[in-house]
Amino acid sequence: MLWQQLINGLTQGGTYALIAIGYTLIFGVLEIINLAHGEVFMVGAVAGYALVMLLGWGLLPALIGGMIGAALLGAVLEFTALRALRRKGVSNLAPLISTIGLGMVLQNVMIRVVGAEPLPFRVPLAGFVLRLGPLQVTATQLVVLGVSLVLMIALQWTLSRTGLGRAVRAVSENPETAALLGVNVSGIVLATVMLASALGGAAGVLVGVSFVSVSAVMGMSYGLKGLAVIILGGLGNVSGAVAGGLLIGVLEALTVAYGGAFAGYKDAVAFGFLFLVLVARPQGLLGQGAAVTRRS
Amino acid sequence: MSYYLQVATFICVSGILGLSVYLVLSTGQLTLGNAGFMLLGGYTAGLLAIKLGWPLWLTVPAGGLLAAVVAVPLGAACLRLRGVYLAVATLGFTQSLVVIANNLTITGGALGLKDIPNLGTRLQRYFRGFLAEAPFGLTMAQFANLVVLLICAALLGLAFWLIVRQGQSRVGRAFTAIRTDEVAASAMGINTTYYKVLAFAQGAFLAGVAGGLMAHLTYFIGPADFGFSRAVEMLVFVVVGGTSVPAGPVLGAALLRTLSEYLREAKDLRLIIYGALMLLMVLVRPQGLLTPGMFAGLGRWWQRRRAPGKGAAV
Repeated sequence: MLWQQLINGLTQGGTYALIAIGYTLIFGVLEIINLAHGEVFMVGAVAGYALVMLLGWGLLPALIGGMIGAALLGAVLEFTALRALRRKGVSNLAPLISTIGLGMVLQNVMIRVVGAEPLPFRVPLAGFVLRLGPLQVTATQLVVLGVSLVLMIALQWTLSRTGLGRAVRAVSENPETAALLGVNVSGIVLATVMLASALGGAAGVLVGVSFVSVSAVMGMSYGLKGLAVIILGGLGNVSGAVAGGLLIGVLEALTVAYGGAFAGYKDAVAFGFLFLVLVARPQGLLGQGAAVTRRS
Repeated sequence: MSYYLQVATFICVSGILGLSVYLVLSTGQLTLGNAGFMLLGGYTAGLLAIKLGWPLWLTVPAGGLLAAVVAVPLGAACLRLRGVYLAVATLGFTQSLVVIANNLTITGGALGLKDIPNLGTRLQRYFRGFLAEAPFGLTMAQFANLVVLLICAALLGLAFWLIVRQGQSRVGRAFTAIRTDEVAASAMGINTTYYKVLAFAQGAFLAGVAGGLMAHLTYFIGPADFGFSRAVEMLVFVVVGGTSVPAGPVLGAALLRTLSEYLREAKDLRLIIYGALMLLMVLVRPQGLLTPGMFAGLGRWWQRRRAPGKGAAV
């Protein structure tokens, strides 16, 4: 039973990690929290749903379609809510509010388009179950876990091995120096926001597949979980986001399975645990320094 | 008539909420925990009135006090964190309280607290005791609502006055010093932890009082009233109005509340327009509508008017 719960938790945690990576990438280069990220995730999910259920695409093309849709939305986000606020003297509270505003628009436009009710999202692989001794792994879980892993590895490879990744890391280290060294900073910022949004969109499609439903209001709760995960893992830290996501997924699964009367507290697990960790280790599990004010 | 009184009353409560976030921001700390303190204040006031039959002038301050008492250890633990870390940690506090309120029996679970004694109804009954007819040609209900509005406005005014006075005092200067540069402030001998926790607890008290008022204004409160959206709403009041003068959050609250009432006409489009306007306001004026520079300019203009000839030297 424990192993079964671990598998369920890891599947869920994989999607948390994908969402969290989106936050952490943007924080890495811009030092802001993009509060529209949950809604980008939702738009990706609904786009994937539309491609599969209305156009009859397969899961993989729909996943890619959802990612492209979310990436385009990321470009919209950059040009409307972020770029204009990136000048000297603007407090870092402003992007917080502008992204909330944009998120509000996205969510309510989507409610007008598809309604607020959950939409059933069925993909053909739902019936298949793999049995390994006492363990049951559904095909959906395999796909969700597999795709999450592939995307995370691809991201890690892009960041560490390609020219784009080097430029992203340079901008996140120090934008002025990067610009002096010939990096096109606004181009890299745009690319990062689009990449982060694409990962959010992928997470949306995967969550839609694993819960067999999508809805216009699914963004909020996942967006908040993602926030808890990045702080847990340490801001701007991709491996921290992955570790934090998987950890929260597993802890939630265990709470539901063994928590008895406390199963209803599942949604407090992420934040409650985060709270304890921050009090003991303010920079997050894998973060380094920076979160705590220096004391003289 | 009653509708306008009610809107004005909620503007006052929102103003108190805006000030509660402003206080914490005036030490440079970003909090999303005041929705949680509001929940504490609201449920405390509601439960004290329902279960123990406390009078309303006691339940509301009791809610604020409980919030402030909780805020001290919470602040001491959390305020070591900076910026976004603090914001998310305090959001964690808010979300955890929402989940707890959702699961406990005494709080009514997801259904919330029902039949909370209503301030307007109580006042109406009280006035009926010695008034045959409401003054000013109003109905008794309207008169009671008017008094409710005056009470809330007085509380907002009191909070505003205390914050302005505190801003000019030793405490206010310590807040500003910490906001400007915490390390330098601490090097000058300011006990930064003490003042940050003080601001945090003051903010929590105001949020708790606002929560209590809200409970007694609406008959009903539920966990969904105090989550992330509420935390963000308060922050939006401050950022849109202006983060560095106490009039900022009050103006922000009044403006956004009025806007949101006005947009009721737009029905389904309401939140779309509201979100778009929020985005637009921040893009046009990222520093907020009111800035300290404006007040300094107003002060100079006032001095010139009072002492013509001397004004040029100021």
